[in-house]
Formats: sequence, structure tokens, C-alpha cells
Amino acid sequence: MKNINLKRLIATLGASAMISTGLVVAVAAPAQAAEPVCVTDAKTSTITCDGKLSNGAAYKTMVPSNYGGTFYFWQHGIRPSYPYPGYTVPKGVEQMAPTSVNHKIDTTKSMLTLGYGLASYDCSSTGLHGWNTSDCVEMLNELVTITKARISIQKTIVYGASMAGAILTPFIEKYPNAADAVGILAGVTPSINNELKSGCDMLYIFSVFFDPTIKGCTAMGTKGVPGHYAVLGDFAKVVTLLTQWSKDSGSLPLAYPAALATSGIPQRSALLLAGLIAGLPTKSANFDGISTSALVPEQSINATLAVLQNAGELLGTAYFGGQAVSEVVGAGFYDNTKTDFAALLSDADLGRFNLGLSGDDAINGMLATLAASPRVTGDATALAKVAALDKSKFDTSKPVVLLSNEADRLVLPGNTPLYLNKARAVYESKLAAWRSKFKAATTTSQASALLKSKPIWNTVAMYAMTPETYTKFTAAGLPDTTAAISPSGVGHESFTKDQLMLWVRTLASSAKTGRVPSSGVMAANMAGVVNLNTDPDYQPNELKYQD
Amino acid sequence: MNLRKPLILTVVASALVGSLAISSISASAASDPGVSSSEIVLGMQLPQTGAASPGYNKVDDAARAYFDYVNSKGGVNGRSIKLVVKDDTYKAGLTISTASKLINEDKIFAFFGSIGTQTHVSIIKDINRRKIPDIFVNSGYSGFYTDPKKYPTTFGGLGTYTVEAKILGKYLKEKYADKKIGILYQSDDFGRNAVAGFTAAGLKFEAKKTSASFIAGTQGSIGLASQLSQLKANGVDIVIIAAVSSATAVAYATASAIAYKPTKWAVISVGADATTFQTILGSKGVPAATSAAMLAGTISASHAPAPGDATDEYVTAFKKINDDFNKGADKRWDNNVMQGMNIAYLATSALMGVGKDLTRAKLVAYLEDNGSKLSSAAFAPLGYSKSTHEAFTGFWLGEYDATTLLAPIDGKRVVYTTDSGSGAVTVSNYMRPAIAADALPKVA
Repeated sequence: MKNINLKRLIATLGASAMISTGLVVAVAAPAQAAEPVCVTDAKTSTITCDGKLSNGAAYKTMVPSNYGGTFYFWQHGIRPSYPYPGYTVPKGVEQMAPTSVNHKIDTTKSMLTLGYGLASYDCSSTGLHGWNTSDCVEMLNELVTITKARISIQKTIVYGASMAGAILTPFIEKYPNAADAVGILAGVTPSINNELKSGCDMLYIFSVFFDPTIKGCTAMGTKGVPGHYAVLGDFAKVVTLLTQWSKDSGSLPLAYPAALATSGIPQRSALLLAGLIAGLPTKSANFDGISTSALVPEQSINATLAVLQNAGELLGTAYFGGQAVSEVVGAGFYDNTKTDFAALLSDADLGRFNLGLSGDDAINGMLATLAASPRVTGDATALAKVAALDKSKFDTSKPVVLLSNEADRLVLPGNTPLYLNKARAVYESKLAAWRSKFKAATTTSQASALLKSKPIWNTVAMYAMTPETYTKFTAAGLPDTTAAISPSGVGHESFTKDQLMLWVRTLASSAKTGRVPSSGVMAANMAGVVNLNTDPDYQPNELKYQD
Repeated sequence: MNLRKPLILTVVASALVGSLAISSISASAASDPGVSSSEIVLGMQLPQTGAASPGYNKVDDAARAYFDYVNSKGGVNGRSIKLVVKDDTYKAGLTISTASKLINEDKIFAFFGSIGTQTHVSIIKDINRRKIPDIFVNSGYSGFYTDPKKYPTTFGGLGTYTVEAKILGKYLKEKYADKKIGILYQSDDFGRNAVAGFTAAGLKFEAKKTSASFIAGTQGSIGLASQLSQLKANGVDIVIIAAVSSATAVAYATASAIAYKPTKWAVISVGADATTFQTILGSKGVPAATSAAMLAGTISASHAPAPGDATDEYVTAFKKINDDFNKGADKRWDNNVMQGMNIAYLATSALMGVGKDLTRAKLVAYLEDNGSKLSSAAFAPLGYSKSTHEAFTGFWLGEYDATTLLAPIDGKRVVYTTDSGSGAVTVSNYMRPAIAADALPKVA
């Protein structure tokens, strides 16, 4: 989601009323693909070609002078289809290779230097940049096909970030011979429905505890610009709350609903509760969830500030991702009539953050209020559609390499272990079936043939971790959010160059051999990169929903 | 034509594939991390520093002292026991990161004796996902142990708060039937667990009147004045405390400050350690004699002998090992040291019991199958089985005397037993086996 500067949007919305601007809706696609126009860089001899896919969407390829036959096809993440203050809808290819927002890194040059060919495209179809993932699957396939026809490619790698996970996973299952390896960076894996439900839950909880006029995911579903503005208007209410809390740390008591108005429970406890129910990381750019000071006397207060710092982006995603999804599935894709919010809090949450949640009485009071609050009833058709969106079987035999931040606030880190666990289950099942066949083999030729088809475990995940502690305080004990943020493990699509390039190199070697590196090689490689997980069995917190 | 034999030979000789799964399982079993031909590495997490550390920070040194003693006698099946300790300062975030270090850097075989309910709850799921034994946890929270399907590798190291509260509650209800009994508890798993036990024993508390709670961790910063004032205003004669030692100390000091003199205090054992109580009050300038006088008359419970019981053979043996082997900064003999020694004795027993072919899976299976037969300094048996991983299933009740010794009520130690469910409280007929002359477990 590189191109959505939510931070800027939140600041804009918080600072001023929304300004109505003239909107430019993406132009309908032309009927035929155009031949690319190529230029050669005088200095580097890199050949850059710009072309159009058959629906008119732009694509670009770059081939360095030392090109070695390995080609990377970049799939970008979600982009809003409509502009908002501080954001203009992109036209054309924005990004050729992995970038890092926090570290201001673009790996394009590094990848070209290594002799890799690069391709990227603008997944714009039917006037949308948003959750048009099924179109993207076809457009990516077209890009791979036409590029292969034009350039000699020995190994093809499809890789991308964020929403790309919802494209690349179905892509390799639909077109198993189109690529030799798949890379998913901070990606949804692949159903957005899991995370969308958590984001919608959080907005619903905001409407219960803070502002009953917040519509949350029920604001979504109107197509086009009117729907976009309806969502923006609702998001502005959330931003108002977040802005207030950034000033008072949510210390004021809950003023709403009536049942809790005299409870004295600070708003920050309800915010923390909402964050924990949604599975939002309790570490953020500036807050490690651990460090304390005179004014942040306990770890769970630090964690609450982390949730506050993270909330804007998750909720922004819920709004814009949700609205984009609603353009595809229609209104009413969120339903919480059967949601047991208490069950979404883990034992660990309740123990570790008990003080931040203001203790058992406050927790029970808030949960009872949630249980008694009127629920949102979804639309059966939309619910079925969203549940079926981007569904995958996790059965590719191609190497898949994932990289995720420990505390990604936007595409939650639990997406990666979800992919891993689902792929593992498929692999175990295939292996068991293979073993049965092998056992039943009665001839050497049967056995030999089976040996060639033995399933292999071909998925590996890496995590960028935060240091143990990194929160900085002023001399008075106030959190210093102007200090340097965590050097690793936080934010979305934010990795160090070494982390990104290890992911890139691992993809190259996997494509070459057809297998992800052995655990020993991976461990050695990861140990050489600062702040990658050294624990091969590490798993971040699970997603709250795991459909 | 019979192809079976050639096929098998061909497959075994050429591919290894069919046997791969089996061989990899065996190889993995034979090479569990943290165990070699010469060493077993155990890992412990506890607050060695910080506000929650007083008292608890002695458990690791005591356990290590016992392991060093075992090592000096040849170790367990030729392997020495190494205890690696991480300070989590009682902050769950650090519990998570230090657990990762113990697993990945120190390559521990098992977690052992980790301290703290709120901290351990943050890692217990992950430890169990990884199938790492998590033995003799120093938390009495029954939720860790009563559903082995949920946490199959975790075993308790204390009697549960529920068991203790049921036993203590029954006594208080009968002994002080004419008195108003109230409770001060920390509103977390510990406190809730204890309240459940007291309620099961038939005690009834009225919220905001005879029941006062506080958020764990605020006893030092916010204090307990409003809670104690509430109990005083409602005429509570007997005050039960279900909280950590630092809260007990604050509660006594606060009661003194507001001139609240309940007829009796009754304190759950982990909050009633005398030296911890005196250390905390001492840090606030309260002389030892004064704090001893404050504690005198307090009712508490224990599964083990009172550390001051010089007539007890386990106390005598462990005390000598503590004197000879404890290299900690504070090796003063007390409940915490006794507990550290006792769980180290139990760990030694279990490791001996598994035998030379030590694996994580075998240790867990051994404790489920044989754990209830292991003996220790405790006067109550262990409850380990396939259906529960609760540790000590009984307690005796005592009253602190003027020398801070917990002495049996009415001069006679009676051990009561029950479970963490709805079972009745009965007198235990368990006879504790004697400790061997060399103070080493004798496991068949």
C-alpha cells in the first residue's frame, strides 16, 4: 500500500474539514494492447520499455546490460480508485521493485545491478485500482506472457506486496507454469475477509464506546465517488477521536454509552480493548509495549499508546480496503450478529494488559456493554461474495517466500503464519496420500515413479523483528514520538535494504533450484541480516479470524 | 512373481524416502535441543530485578544450588543440569523476548520453574505449540493445568490458588462463622482463581462492600487506601488477601495508617512469605521487629514445611545444600529458597525417572504417567495425570508467630486435600516419604 499516505491523510483530516475536490475517474481501457516503446539508458545501457496491456493498463520492463535470465514481475498493493485530500490517484506504473516507506529505500537499482530483469504494471481495470484482484490475476498473466514472448527469460518470479498476496496466491494456482517462484511481502494471504472483519469489529467497537454516529463498515457499499466520500466522511470521525487521544492519551473517562458513563473507565482502556479484539499489534513505530517511565508507569500503558499509534492505519485500511471490496461484493459484507467479542480476547491479552484495560471490573463492564449492543446484520449475498473472494487452495508446488514485519499495523503479521499453516496442512495431506501410494506400490517401476513425485515442503517465511525495547522518553517521562522509530519490524512494507534483498535473493535461488533453501541455509542467511528472526519456529500473533 | 523383497531392497537402498519420515522422527527425538550426553539445559524466567522481584528473585539461585549439588554427585544419568535464567522484570513483553532467547540462543531442553501468572500466560501457548516441556511453573493459576489438552506440556509447581482457597475458605467459614469475612484481591487470573476457591468453600462476598479488588500492579503507585477503607467501613472482621507479597505489605501498612484492625488476616501463601513481606516493608523504613509484629497472627497455608521448622528432615537437608552451594546474592533461608530447592528436587526426580534416553516427549509422558508418585518436601502429593497437570493437591494451615514462623494452627499440622473443581475438602492421608541420606531422589 505504498501509495496511500494514510499518515498524511489522517493529518489532513484531523487538521481541517474535508475539501471537496474535482475527481478524476480512471479512463476506460482501450480495446487493444499497444507495443511497448523502449529506450536505452546512455549511462547504464539498461533498456526500459513502456507499454500497455490489452485493457490499456500501463506496464514497464527494465532489462540491465548484465541481464542473466531471471525476471521479476512486481505486483503492487491496493490503491484507492478516487482521490482524497493529499492524494492523487496514480496513473501508470509507480514502482518497479520492492520499496521501504520507513527506510526510504527503492531496490530497483540494486536488483538491476544484480542482473535481474524487472517488470511492473498498473493493475487498473474497469476504472478501479482497488480490490479488482481477479482482474489483476489475468493482467499479471498477460504481462508475464507478453514479456516472455519478447524477452528471453529463464526463471520467472512473481512477487509483490500487501494486496498482492491476494493476487499472487490465486495466480500461481491458476497458472502454475507461469512462474518459478512466488514472493509475498507483507501480504494478505490471501483472503482479505479475515482482516476486514477485524477492522470492521474495531470500527463497530468505536461506535459503541466513542461515537454512535460512526457507521464503520456499514458506511460502505455505495459505488463510485459518492461511496468514496461517504467513507471519507465516516473516517473523519475516527480521525477526530485519534487526534484527541494523541493529545490526551485517552485519559478522559468514557462518556458513552450510558451504562459506562459513570464507570470512570478511561477511553484508552476501551481503545486498547478494541485493538486487542481486532488483533492490532501492541508494538508500534515508537512504542515497544514494554518500556516504562514516570508518566508511563506500566507496560500495558505503553502498549495502549502503540495501539493508538497503529489504529489510524488499520482503520484507514478498513475504510478504504472495505470500500474497495464493497465495490466488488456490494454493501453489507460485515455481519457481527454472532460475534462473541469476549472470545476474541485471549488469555494472554487479559493477563498481560489487565492494567491497561483497567482491571477485571472494567473489562467485564465493557464486554457486557458490547454483548448487549445492537448488532450489525449483513447482506447474505455480499457475505457470501466476500467469503469467496480470493479463495485459494494453498497447494502450489512452486517455492513461496514470505517476508513480514513483526508489528505490521496494516496487513497484520498473522497473515503470514496463516499462509504457512494452511500450506503446511495441504503438504501434510499430500504427503500422507503419497506415502499410502508408495506403501501400496508393488513394482520397482511404480516405486521409482512415485519417488519422483514425492511432495516437498516448499514454503518459507521470514520476519523482520523489532529490537527488544526502543521507546524513548523525554526527561519528564513523556513518550518522545519525535525520536527515531524502531529500526525494524514496524510499519507496513517497511524493511531494511538487507532484509528486502535477502528476500529477493532467496526468491532467485528458489526459482533456480525449484526449492526454497534448506532450513540450515535459511538460518545462516537470516543470521547475517540484522533484525530478521533467528527463531525458525517464530510465529507472530494469529489473526482473530482465520477463514 | 514376488516383487516384494526386491522392491523393498531397492527402495531402502536407493531412495530412503519411505523411511525418511520415520528416521527423521527418530533423529529428532534423539536430538531434542538442550540435551547432550553430558548436559541438560533448563531455562527459567523470573523477575530478578524490579518492583516484583523481592523474594521471588531467590528462587533461581536456590534451584541452581540444588542442581549444582546434584552435579557434584555425578548429575542425572551422567548428565549435569545447567540452569539458564532470564530476568523478565515481571513485564510480559520481556517474558516473550526472553523466552525466545532461551529457546533459540540457549537451546534449552525445557522451561523450568518460571515465575508469574501474568507473565507466563503470555508465552504458555507458544511454548506448548512448540511442544517444549514447561515444568513446575511457579504460578498457582489453575487455568494453566486443569486442561492438558489446551496446555499439554505445562505442569504446575505450586498447589493451585483454587485448591488453597477452598481449604482456607472452609476453615475460615467454620472457625469464624460469627464474623464478617471480606476479601482483598488483585483482579487478574490469580485473584479470580482464589475468589473462585473461596466461593466454592461457601464464603460469600459482596462487591464494593466485603469484596475489594485492585488492578495488579497498582498497589505501589495508587495504593490500597480506598479498598481497605471500604472493608473497614463495612465492618469486615476477617480480611483475606489474594495478592502478591508486595500488595500484602501495602495492605498491612495501609490498614495501620487508617487504624483498621481486623480480627484476623488470612493470606494466600504466595503473598505471605515472611522474608519478602519484611524486605518490602524494610525498604520503606519499617523495622524488622515491627513488620514481624504486624505479620504475627496472620493465617496462611503451605504445601511444604515451614522453612523455620528445624525438625523437618527436608528443611535440614535443603538448608545444608543451600549453605554449601547457593552462590546467590541473598541466600537467606526462606519460603522462596525452599520452593526453589523443592522444584529442583522434583525436576531431578523426573529427569532420573525418564532415564538415559531423555526426550521432551518422554519427559511429558513420564510426568503424566508417574508424576503423582514422585515425592518431595511437600506434605501433599502431586496431582499429575493425563487429565490434570496440577501440582500439590493439599495444604496445611498455620498462623505466623512473633518470630515469623508459620506454625500449625492448634499446634498440630493437618493436611487437607481437594481439587480445583467441585471436589470436597478432606483430610489427606498422604504420608510423605523420607528424604534419602544424600538428599537425592530415589526414583525407580
